[in-house]
Amino acid sequence: MHRRFRAAPGIAAAGLVIIVFGATRLGAQQPDFTGVWTTYNDPGQGPGGGGGGRGGGPPLPMNDAAKQKVEKYQALVKPTGDTPGGYCLGTGMPGSMLGSGGYPMEIHQRPEQIMIVYEAHNEVRRVYLGDRMVPEADRLPGRNGYSNGRWEGNTLVVETTNLIEQVDQRYAHSSKAKIVERYRLEKGAKGEAVLVAEMTMTDPEFYTAPVTATKKWAKVPNGHLLPYECAEENWIKHLEQLEKKAAGK
Amino acid sequence: MRHTVIISAALLMLGASLAAHHSAIQFDFTNSKAVTGVVKKFIAINPHMQLVLHVKDAKGERDIEFEGHSTNNMYRAGYRDNMIKVGDTITVYIAPLKDGSDGGYVTAALTASGTRFGARSRAELEQERLKAEGKK
Repeated sequence: MHRRFRAAPGIAAAGLVIIVFGATRLGAQQPDFTGVWTTYNDPGQGPGGGGGGRGGGPPLPMNDAAKQKVEKYQALVKPTGDTPGGYCLGTGMPGSMLGSGGYPMEIHQRPEQIMIVYEAHNEVRRVYLGDRMVPEADRLPGRNGYSNGRWEGNTLVVETTNLIEQVDQRYAHSSKAKIVERYRLEKGAKGEAVLVAEMTMTDPEFYTAPVTATKKWAKVPNGHLLPYECAEENWIKHLEQLEKKAAGK
Repeated sequence: MRHTVIISAALLMLGASLAAHHSAIQFDFTNSKAVTGVVKKFIAINPHMQLVLHVKDAKGERDIEFEGHSTNNMYRAGYRDNMIKVGDTITVYIAPLKDGSDGGYVTAALTASGTRFGARSRAELEQERLKAEGKK
């Protein structure tokens, strides 16, 4: 009995260590962005606002070589109106973080990894923190690149690199682009949770100065994303063509 | 060689799929038109709903193909599963084709049970405003 009492302080200390360690591991001090979010419009701002769109404003500080690339692409698709999304291609960065076609997004937050699921095209971004970060040599470039995150107080800072060149983006960029996002929670006009996402993109191959944009997301209480199988339409049409061919039509 | 054949076949299939894609450039989104008919085919999918209506109007009797907003956008504008079934008589509100031919882009619909879902286009909102003001 006596020995059990003597052991108690040790057990309690060990428990305290676990609790403190656990709290740190779970990121208890950081805000939780988990949930479904949709475009937030500031009061007086019409639908389709909420940032993300160029909506006029000063021209982008794009160099001549980049302008030529973008103009060449636009000359190609303008007559047909074709878009990457029309071919079931995900938006890619920074278009995904700036609104993803007006569809909502869902965030799942863990201390070592944050998953951002954009409803449109079921596009997924993974933000790695701490030891989960992928070594540079093990990365493959893509439309959303690789994203590393860190906390600066209550602000989540996400750095995205390893992007491929995307002249089809509203904010076109080269493969050398680096995008830094800063996420923080604010309160909206009605006291609702608003997630503010500020973007700064630097790209020495395309731009002569950093490019910035802000997107605001409103929390959807108990929100759900819907499935989005973009290729289904084409598959059905393809099957119809096969049926016609098989019927000799 | 076998790989080449497989890859070639895959590319041919991809080509067929891509050929089925098109943009929305052919639709006139500054206008809105109501079309009533009997549903012959309806598929609620993304990125565009697919609809065929059997229509009888001054031009005669025929089937007209439509496409529309994504199912997800329609869902958030009131659409729910089984609201539209083959055989139903429905009215769709469309952005007509710019060349004036049959068909269009469905932005809203009035179902057989009288439920309306979808967005009101700028043209519809303007028509409603003029009607409310007694100007139309």
